[in-house]
Amino acid sequence: MKMLRSLFAPGARVGAMDVVLAAVVVALIGFGLVMVYSASVVEATADFGNPHYFLQRHGVFALLALAVMFVASRFDYHKLRPLTYPVLGLVTLLMVLSVAGFGHTGGGAARWLRIGPIHVQPSEAAKVALVLWLGYSLDRKRERVKTFSIGMLPHLLMAGVLVLLCMKQPDFGGAAVLLFLTFAMLFVAGARLGYLLGALMLGALFATWAIRFTPYRWERMLAWSNMAEHRQDLAYQPFQSVMSFGSGEITGLGLGKGLQVLYLPESHTDFISAIIGEELGFIGILGLCAVYLVIVARGVRVALSAEDEYGSYVAFGLSVLFGVQALVNMSVAMAVLPTKGLTLPFVSYGGSSLLVSAAAMGILLNISRPRLGPAPLAAPYTAAPEASATVLTESTFGDGADPAEGARA
Amino acid sequence: MSRRRGAAPAPAPQGNRIRTEAGKWIRMRMGVLCGVLGLGLGLVVSAGWDLMVVDGPHWRELAEKQRQRRLRVQPKRGIIYDRSGSALAVTVEVPSVSLDANELLRGVPAPQVPVVARDAANRIARALSIEPALVERKILAKRRWTWLHRQVTAEQVEAIRKLAAGEDGERIRGLIVEGEPRRFHPRRELAGPLLGFVAPDGKGKDGLEYALNRELEGHPDQLRGLRDRSGRLIFSEGIADDQALAGHDLHLTLDQGIQYTAERELANVARTFEASGGSVLVVDPNNGELLAMASWPGYNPNDYRKSSPEQRRNRAIVDAFEPGSTMKIFTVAAGLAAGVIQPTQKLYCEKGVMAVDNVVIRDTHPAEWLSLTQILAQSSNICSAKIGLALGGDALYESLRRFGFGERTGVELPGESSGTLRPRGRPWVQVETAAASFGQGISVTNLQMAMATAAIANGGELLEPVLIRKVTTASGEVVRQSARQVRRRVVSKRVAQQLAEMLVAVTEDGGTGIEADIDGYRVAGKTATAQKTDPRTGRYSLDDYVASFVGFVPAKNPVAVVVVTVDEPRVDYAGGAVAAPVFRRVAEMVLRYRGLTPAGTKPVNLEELARRPDPAHATHAALRAARGEAPPVQEVQQAGKPGKDQVRLPDFTGWPVRAALRQSVELGVRPEVSGTGLLARQEPPPGAIVDKGSAVKLIFRPAS
Repeated sequence: MKMLRSLFAPGARVGAMDVVLAAVVVALIGFGLVMVYSASVVEATADFGNPHYFLQRHGVFALLALAVMFVASRFDYHKLRPLTYPVLGLVTLLMVLSVAGFGHTGGGAARWLRIGPIHVQPSEAAKVALVLWLGYSLDRKRERVKTFSIGMLPHLLMAGVLVLLCMKQPDFGGAAVLLFLTFAMLFVAGARLGYLLGALMLGALFATWAIRFTPYRWERMLAWSNMAEHRQDLAYQPFQSVMSFGSGEITGLGLGKGLQVLYLPESHTDFISAIIGEELGFIGILGLCAVYLVIVARGVRVALSAEDEYGSYVAFGLSVLFGVQALVNMSVAMAVLPTKGLTLPFVSYGGSSLLVSAAAMGILLNISRPRLGPAPLAAPYTAAPEASATVLTESTFGDGADPAEGARA
Repeated sequence: MSRRRGAAPAPAPQGNRIRTEAGKWIRMRMGVLCGVLGLGLGLVVSAGWDLMVVDGPHWRELAEKQRQRRLRVQPKRGIIYDRSGSALAVTVEVPSVSLDANELLRGVPAPQVPVVARDAANRIARALSIEPALVERKILAKRRWTWLHRQVTAEQVEAIRKLAAGEDGERIRGLIVEGEPRRFHPRRELAGPLLGFVAPDGKGKDGLEYALNRELEGHPDQLRGLRDRSGRLIFSEGIADDQALAGHDLHLTLDQGIQYTAERELANVARTFEASGGSVLVVDPNNGELLAMASWPGYNPNDYRKSSPEQRRNRAIVDAFEPGSTMKIFTVAAGLAAGVIQPTQKLYCEKGVMAVDNVVIRDTHPAEWLSLTQILAQSSNICSAKIGLALGGDALYESLRRFGFGERTGVELPGESSGTLRPRGRPWVQVETAAASFGQGISVTNLQMAMATAAIANGGELLEPVLIRKVTTASGEVVRQSARQVRRRVVSKRVAQQLAEMLVAVTEDGGTGIEADIDGYRVAGKTATAQKTDPRTGRYSLDDYVASFVGFVPAKNPVAVVVVTVDEPRVDYAGGAVAAPVFRRVAEMVLRYRGLTPAGTKPVNLEELARRPDPAHATHAALRAARGEAPPVQEVQQAGKPGKDQVRLPDFTGWPVRAALRQSVELGVRPEVSGTGLLARQEPPPGAIVDKGSAVKLIFRPAS
């Protein structure tokens, strides 16, 4: 009991984070740095006269990302609950702003928002904000999730707004990820399958309509379905990307020896997986998949063992976010999917993506910390009586009293 | 987190329900979603397998094809140098602007294409000062490559660069500035007909440029290079063939100084005598090297479009003409070599009229008995005909053939004619033999004449003419080098020397070529004034002549053979009057150039030369005297004798700067010079006695 009491001291209430997850992510960021350098050196030299231009910037972002991840992993995720709405509101506002013409056009889409010298991509943050909000909301609604008006409609509406804003940018990939996240979390939280399927069908109809009656999307779609014919125009990028993957064959051309960077636009951002494929081959891609598998698996493990449902939902949502993002990115690069505009988390060049992913990972890591003792009673969000009851129950059973576990903490 | 597995089923609704029995469904649903994700992962991996392992080689090949697009490399055309290494023809890169319309319009949605094209066209047109509609049409044609504007200025290049870099409004893609080769002849007209010109397609079309096009051009190669998506060459994979990058350089035997003199003198004489054309050849008889090959009228190959074929023709090798009396050299040589005449022998020249069959041959200087030397000096047709007839038609023909007439010299230039010895394609009849012995009824080129004369000059060996001293690669390695090439021995050394001695008489008093004589040298030569056949009547014209002179200096150990031919001179037509002076001036220049001092001249002491009265001074004084001007009144210290450290200033008026300076320094005064030309005023005035070391103002004015 003495030891237990010592754990009550501030800062010692939580156990160690998931070291495997943290290590894998840090390694992935480092790997990303290497690949960004390899993929960007030509463009950096040609456009900026400095072969290290993107490497330097990405390096700074990587350091920042590590710091953000560290801080977020120390920041008790429960304290995020009151921040849910402000964050969601802010992100929505930024999205609206970027759509409303303040956006900085990049690659034909108004995806960027300029704040001083920094270009922010609000859609990256929107995904995390949506997960936080869904986790918060689903946790609060509990059994009422099954209802339509309370469990389904608000979530779908909110997600719908963000999806529309995404499409307006236009960022079709981002919209798809947001939709997938919403359905995934609603599904997990126990929403009725009927509603979900209905909404899914509606969404599919909407997506079809959006593609069919937006000329540029439809053209891109046609081009994607007949890549060889459009290899010089609309399907240039996916074609080049597929060529990059293919020329990697099994073992790849070797780090830094890829030559498709000369042809593949955005090779260091959205299409970095193509360069990984070219330089490291199928083996490299398998390794990359394995790394994301570990991240998602550890994330789901965190979700399963989280202290409360909020933690579980958020952890699961973030894991799915990483997984889906990585899968969609690679599918797009392999021209399995027709869309574009998604980064490969932790690897692609880009400050917004890296910092947001790092923050999300920090939250996940914080959730992964075993709660060894009661949460502070004075915590504002636990003012509700049931919260303290939880704490009491936990401490009564004294799960964390395992001496070995305490020592490890 | 397995440690929590053993925890009692906590009925705490506030805890994590998911871990409890109640959360079983949630865990299952999570599992389902994880399954979906796993399915996606499987899909990606299998797609990767298909793409990278199954189809990998195919894609790799495709990617390699794409980046290793073989590009045609147009090697830089070789440079043509004269014998001292001055460039006569170089290739310069002139920037030209082209457009990749596909690149410009890439990513532009179809409805916006016209707007974007018009906007880009306007901006490009402004940068290049061309018609916007034209540019717009080129953009909308969507060709991957098209010229926008060729041979642009540096300002236009800069404007285009700004457009392409986005420094001037929004960036316009697909603009390409590349160097387009353009042949440039820095010496302009110099040796124009010899060098020829290069058409815009990079092929030499005339002269040397045509004859040695293959070597100059290099080998346009299919080069394996790496290109990026805008088509820029990143690096090449190395070229085995050095000619793929640059053609070979030609080093000519031509000397641009001699060539210039030859052209200048030829042009002068051609203009003075209103000739229709002419050519001058300077050959080194010792090795057959062509030092100059001038053809008038010439043209500027930089501006070849403005020239006529008449101007472009290299008359020295293309034009075959009836040589006339110069041929007598070779008739006499043939006679001496065959032994039908002796050097000391005299021939009876029939007092100027001789009939051969139905033709009467006349001499301009009727004579009775003439030595061989006199026959040449007075250019007797009759006696030459006698020698030819004594030899017989076949022997004379063979002999002339041995001198190289009637066959091409093999100079590496296009369009060389061989001349004709037997115009009717059958052995000569007697009249033809007689005519041929003094150069009628046959045709030769100037170059044949020069090489044949060189054979006399060098002791009897017919050499092949050498125009290209060596061919080197762009990096200077010698590809081939010419050497003295003897075609055959024509006459013995003794005969050649005897002939050379005889030919000296031509340029001495009483000879027809007195105008060719050069002070201090013994010049061997022969004049010719050949009537031209009128193409309308087929008879010899009374107005049209070819005046020519062949010769070499010095008569012993000659350094240059000079052949001058002036076609259809108008004012005067005698070879001795028209062509011989050209020979003299060109030969004089070559001698000076070669540093040969005139035989029997004493070296002049420089100091003495400086003391000689300046002709300008004398002229000035004479003019002044003629105008009755009195010398200016001298008042300052005119009287008296200069003291120990004093000098009396002389009158410098009318002196050139240099002489006045030298003189004043010698006197020990300090000159202060202003102006140029001849001395107009001096202070103190002439006759003044000044201290040594004092300043004397010397004011010069340009001579009027």
